Amino acid sequence: MTIDHVLTLLLVIPLVGLVPLYVFRGDPRAAKQVAIVTTLVELVLSLVMLAQFKVGEADFQLVEKADWLPSLGIRYFVGVDGISVLLVPMTTLLTFISVLYSSGGAIKERIASFMAAFLLLEVGMVGVFVSLDLFLFYVMFELMLVPMYLIIGIWGGTRRIYSTLKFVIFTLAGSLVMLVGIVAVWLESGPEGSRTLSLPELLAIRNHFPTDFQFWVFLAFGLAFAIKLPMFPFHTWLPDAHVEAPTAGSIILAGVLLKAGGYGFLRFALPLFPIGTQIWLPVIIVLSVIAILYGAAVSTVQKDLKKLVAYSSVAHMGFVTLGIFVLNVQGGVGAVLQMLNHGFVTGALFLFVGIQYEKTHRRVIADLGGLANHWPLYTTFFGLFVLASLGLPGLNGFVGEFLVLLGTFQFSGVPLGGLFWGPLAAIGVILAAVYLLWMFGRVMYGPARDHYKALPDLSPIEVICAVPLLVLTVLLGVVPQPAIAIIQPSLDRVLKLALDPTWQVAVK
Amino acid sequence: MNDLVAIAPELIVTITAGAVIVVDAVLSRRNAARWLPLIVTVGLVVALFAPMLWSPYGNVQPLGVRGSGAFFSGYVNVDTFTNFFRTVFILLALFATLVAPTYLTRKQVPPGEYYATLLFSTVGAMTVALATDLITVFLGLELMTIPVYVLAGIQRKDRFSNEAALKYFLLGAFSSALLVYGFAWLFGVTGSTRYSEITTSLKASGLANGPTIIALALITVGLGFKAAVVPFHQWTPDAYDGAPTPATAFMSVAPKAAAFAAILRVLVGGMGPLAVEWSSVFAVLAAITMTAGNVVALVQTNTKRMLAYSSIAHTGYILAAVAAAAAGTSAGAAVLFYVFAYGLMNLGAFACLLYIDLEGTRGATLDELNGFAKREPFGALAFAVFLISLTGIPPTVGFVAKFLVIQPVLDAGFAWLAVILALNAVLAAFYYLRVVVRMYMYDAERGAPALIPSRLLSVSLGVSALAVVLLGIIPNSLYQWALDAARPILNNP
Repeated sequence: MTIDHVLTLLLVIPLVGLVPLYVFRGDPRAAKQVAIVTTLVELVLSLVMLAQFKVGEADFQLVEKADWLPSLGIRYFVGVDGISVLLVPMTTLLTFISVLYSSGGAIKERIASFMAAFLLLEVGMVGVFVSLDLFLFYVMFELMLVPMYLIIGIWGGTRRIYSTLKFVIFTLAGSLVMLVGIVAVWLESGPEGSRTLSLPELLAIRNHFPTDFQFWVFLAFGLAFAIKLPMFPFHTWLPDAHVEAPTAGSIILAGVLLKAGGYGFLRFALPLFPIGTQIWLPVIIVLSVIAILYGAAVSTVQKDLKKLVAYSSVAHMGFVTLGIFVLNVQGGVGAVLQMLNHGFVTGALFLFVGIQYEKTHRRVIADLGGLANHWPLYTTFFGLFVLASLGLPGLNGFVGEFLVLLGTFQFSGVPLGGLFWGPLAAIGVILAAVYLLWMFGRVMYGPARDHYKALPDLSPIEVICAVPLLVLTVLLGVVPQPAIAIIQPSLDRVLKLALDPTWQVAVK
Repeated sequence: MNDLVAIAPELIVTITAGAVIVVDAVLSRRNAARWLPLIVTVGLVVALFAPMLWSPYGNVQPLGVRGSGAFFSGYVNVDTFTNFFRTVFILLALFATLVAPTYLTRKQVPPGEYYATLLFSTVGAMTVALATDLITVFLGLELMTIPVYVLAGIQRKDRFSNEAALKYFLLGAFSSALLVYGFAWLFGVTGSTRYSEITTSLKASGLANGPTIIALALITVGLGFKAAVVPFHQWTPDAYDGAPTPATAFMSVAPKAAAFAAILRVLVGGMGPLAVEWSSVFAVLAAITMTAGNVVALVQTNTKRMLAYSSIAHTGYILAAVAAAAAGTSAGAAVLFYVFAYGLMNLGAFACLLYIDLEGTRGATLDELNGFAKREPFGALAFAVFLISLTGIPPTVGFVAKFLVIQPVLDAGFAWLAVILALNAVLAAFYYLRVVVRMYMYDAERGAPALIPSRLLSVSLGVSALAVVLLGIIPNSLYQWALDAARPILNNP
């Protein structure tokens, strides 16, 4: 089955869902149903989109174009390639799971508003991954901000207001600097009257971008992506935001929002500013390795379960930037896979920490223990996700991290060489095993505590939420080849663009 | 006769103002409160469409006059620029009229005087946009500001209102004196009050001579006062804070827009040959203005005062685009677009404070906004939209305006100013979003003052909030219009 304008439909459906949501705003049950149906339709449609995608082609597909601000050469321009086509279904799946889980009783107040925020958020998230015009990309990038700000600030924990403001101010600082960078790109793109912000057209003229221009504009873009990702030392908003966000917010924040940063590097910063990339590359690689080690080290000493998972995200995203910036196929494919894997696995970890907290109202690791005795189902699921997160072969976490490390070992364009930084990053994998297994042991095993006895195991809704994530975790771990086949052609193209500043792509 | 057709909108607004005075004298206070807003609305709407009905050039088009020509022996010029600002001022006056009635009744402000002064001030602002001569522009500026002094002090028994009016009047008179002194120097140097002749004369005589610089400095200071450019902004917070809220809403936008119309016409258009060298001064002033406005706004606890300081910051953003005049039409279009966007969102933001009933004229403290979203969901949503737009987050018109301002600023080579502008927007986000936090994330306090919902207020806020979002999503026609309007002032070299 082929559907025309499938990407535009993906952007419109959540907005359409807002209408019945507004109509039924007084009825929590109906509001939940509307949100579930909308996100489910969106999920199915994104799978249809994936089915329509032609594997093996490097260029953008399912492209749609329309004039938006013609006097400035700004367009509504969407399309997907191998890098983004998998991130879209990941987004819609995680949104569906978040909405479904929140309907199960995790959110009690102002449900219609909560669901409305999620639907708006979904537009922004899908939009970020399909935008091919920098202006549109920026709008979508910022569109994610306000709903998340409300989600943390209204439905979050006790320190929610501090956390949500910190999140917004950090992110906004980065993205406004990027806005200046976007305008600079626009001005550099040609004489007045023929300026553009469309990615394919910019790629065709990028060899005219002078060196110092690339230096500064890469910095402007990189700052926004580094904060969003977040890269060390811009990560300080993340633990606060994660700890205070409601479970669904954490899932989306870790699962999707952070990916916007890594994706931004791959989609815009690398191919548009190859010289800037070369200049900044050593800095980013060193910061990535620091993030991996620092994130892991800090996770080890966390007392709070949610904070532990949050800091582990810093380490995992360090692998993403490392893989992107070693500029070879192994590293790049590993980074994209790591983004997907982190989305599914860390999303699942936040889901399970949330489920556990809903039942016990405890998040401090020392207060928990012996849960395995009462919750066999929970323990099985949670254990598998923990193993995936620490990179056990056979589960998906392993594939991404292994490829990234492989790419790093082969990379020599950084002081001290890949053979120095690669093993250093590998220590992070060992540390991950330490803190995750230690946490799992302390939370799930040990003496059974009486006051947890009466608490029920996973409910059917929670199982429905967890199963697709587990299936994907195992599937991507055992047979990553189909995903790699989708990613690789487009990634090769991005790498070629990044490595050869004079290579020109023809505009269609 | 053609002269009169050319200024038909101004005439209609003047006639409406006169009609308000007469009707107010005839009707009782209660009937006046009911009928006057209607009369004003009708008058303004007719004035809005007048350029489409009667054109001095005979070519009537959807957005009004397209041609350009001098009237009243060259004292007045009607072109796309004039029409853009006319529309802005009429819309602002309309908005300020529609949000006012409940407040006026509640505070026992005489409605006849409020509407009449509002309209006279609007005529003044429109005259500034018409002017192509120093005398006309001065006439317009005074006709605009004197009624605003009255508006600021219209609540006679409120001492903050009195203070506001007096401060505004004294500083305003001072700035007018400086301005007219600057005009006198300029006349002395060039021998003419006509913009076009000033331009020619300055081109011939050269720029770097003492008298011309003095004239330029005095005019910059004088217009800087009207637009509230730091360090000439001291009157703003007290005047905005003390004036009755609907008047504050109007005076925070219309005089500022008129001041920028004058800056564009006189300093950029008329003294065009100077503008390039003068632009670094503007750039520095812009940076100081936006930073000072934002930093001081950060520590305000009174929402009305916070918005007052934030409006200073927005002056800085607009001034940045003026400084970028070297970039050509796009700079002028950025100024016009920003003025339009700013008018809509800032007036809306002030008007949202009208829901809260307080003694005196001062605005709500942050605490009083706690839980506003639960008490008045619609008003809170509109307020949030205006604040997000003022912050510059898409998809709102405020974002597009920021984008359009950054563009000529970079083009003119002020990369540092663009970065300062972006960082300032982050500062601003902090205090704007703090209000959203209060409205949506706190619970209302016990004993919080009752809200004054009014259908007319909600409808006008709803329409303008919708416009803020729609113009953020489809800004093209507004931008195109701003480009057309900027062409008479700034043509591409």
